[in-house]
Amino acid sequence: MSLLAVARRDFLDVRRAKLVWAPVALYTAFMLLFFWGQSGSSEPDFYQVIWGLVGLGGVLLVPLIALVAAYLSIAGERESGRIKFTLGVPVSRTAVIGGKLLARGGVVLLGLAASLALAVPIAMYFLPEMSIEYGDYLVFGAMTLLYALAYVSVAVALSAVTGSRSRAMAAGIGFFFVFNIGWNFLPVNPMQMIEFVLDQFGMTAPDDVLELVFSLSPTGAYLNATELYMPTRFLEGVGNVPPVDPPFYIQGWFMIVILAAWIVIPLALANWRFSKAQLG
Amino acid sequence: MTAIEIENLTKQYGSGADAVQALDGLSLTVESGEVFGFLGPNGAGKSTTINILLHFIDATDGRATVFGHDVGKESMAVRSKTGVLPEGFEVFDRLTAREHLEWVMDAKGVTDDARAILETVGIAEAADRQAGGFSKGMGQRLALGMALVGDPDLLILDEPSSGLDPTGMQEVRNIILDLAEQGTTVFFSSHILGEVEAVCDRVGILNQGELVALDTIEALQERDDGVESIKLTVETVPETAGLREFTGVQSVSVEEDTVVAVCSDMTAKVDVVRWLDERTTVTDIISEDTSLEELFHRYTGEATTAGQSASAQPAATTEESQ
Repeated sequence: MSLLAVARRDFLDVRRAKLVWAPVALYTAFMLLFFWGQSGSSEPDFYQVIWGLVGLGGVLLVPLIALVAAYLSIAGERESGRIKFTLGVPVSRTAVIGGKLLARGGVVLLGLAASLALAVPIAMYFLPEMSIEYGDYLVFGAMTLLYALAYVSVAVALSAVTGSRSRAMAAGIGFFFVFNIGWNFLPVNPMQMIEFVLDQFGMTAPDDVLELVFSLSPTGAYLNATELYMPTRFLEGVGNVPPVDPPFYIQGWFMIVILAAWIVIPLALANWRFSKAQLG
Repeated sequence: MTAIEIENLTKQYGSGADAVQALDGLSLTVESGEVFGFLGPNGAGKSTTINILLHFIDATDGRATVFGHDVGKESMAVRSKTGVLPEGFEVFDRLTAREHLEWVMDAKGVTDDARAILETVGIAEAADRQAGGFSKGMGQRLALGMALVGDPDLLILDEPSSGLDPTGMQEVRNIILDLAEQGTTVFFSSHILGEVEAVCDRVGILNQGELVALDTIEALQERDDGVESIKLTVETVPETAGLREFTGVQSVSVEEDTVVAVCSDMTAKVDVVRWLDERTTVTDIISEDTSLEELFHRYTGEATTAGQSASAQPAATTEESQ
């Protein structure tokens, strides 16, 4: 199958690129830092370490890892003319997008999974008295990989619809600022805007809807999925209080649906655009 | 059987006042087993045609088929029967030469002898080296090797000798001749007339998106027989009417301090130099074969520096020797 042929070749190619592994090394380094930080406290808290990883990983590292690994996946081939080798053989454009997602996703997920697995013996060494909640850690790991895959998908999609390295990079950075920092962390964010507009009509926005809007970005969904693997007691302590009796669309499991949509929808749109692209 | 059939193919880039007509109603047929040279200066539309055949771009109008398959609707079938050496590419830096070939086998679903192919294109010693360190010529050889994988029925080669030294160019010609002998159809583009002369059964000359000549090499050479021009830079330009008296001097033209004479035999060139030297000081002499560009000018009917008459050579007198 040509999709697998593209994936095999691309995986072979990209796993030899040092740049792809640098952010994973960075992620591992930060993980070490958190463990080391907790080792000073008399009562090291497993969830505190995870919370640190969710914050820093979710905001910065996972998007960085995924964008670096995938932003050039197709745009780079178009700029260098390699796309003519890729499409000079009987390989469909859909297979190119699918193969690239598989290869780049594979590299990112393997790197992150190795890093997360490595964390366990490291934690045992630095924090022998800390109890590791393996079940919760596994869910955290799975959510992190899903989140990473969503970013890889976005990066591959942006790469397919931009024709050059510089545009692909601009699109990746733009996405990161709008749907990560702008959406979830800046004082002026979509939730604020909705509240402001409704306020002009003398209405108040329901909290549940605002929470959904917050969760619509990949980062928002990743942050709100914490309730799947963190005790309510801890989340209340860090000020991320899960709502009482929430509607389905802001429950933890729905965050998985949102992240899955971030994998499927960008790829579908990119496939539609790329299938008509003029690659002269 | 027909390998490539192109009918009224048109490609326009952009629209309105900025529109560029890359192809303007191109029609041509390449028979199975034929070695077809697709000639033209840079920007004539050669790569555009090849890009349409491989469905990298869509034609604005017209149609093309490869072995009966529509290049737009049945591109996968086209590409599974075709080996492609594209133009303006880079190889995959982090893959070895062997891995490049294995990828093509994988994508085409065929098995082939990577070692033998690398030997054919002359880079067997680099089989397990990453291509990032390859020279331009080695990259070109590797790309040709990729095109050869699976012994395709049709080879499309876009400027195959670019980046190659004369030895490499000769080797590529030999490879093409070998394949042609085995019945492979070869469609290759070039802007160098000498390159296609040696291997092609037939050539088409493309200029500004239009086919201006389509003929066998022999017929083209006949028209081009022995015509050479000589260009002299002189201190003062004398009255040149006397030059036309020499037999073998077809035409003379003057532009500022240069005199260009188009000669049909070599001795005429010597006569021209001697004649001018007697009357003025010659500071520079350039002698050149009739370039492809001049051929185009002749076929397209545009005036050349040599002032040759275009009407004497009607455009696209096709198939006259077949």
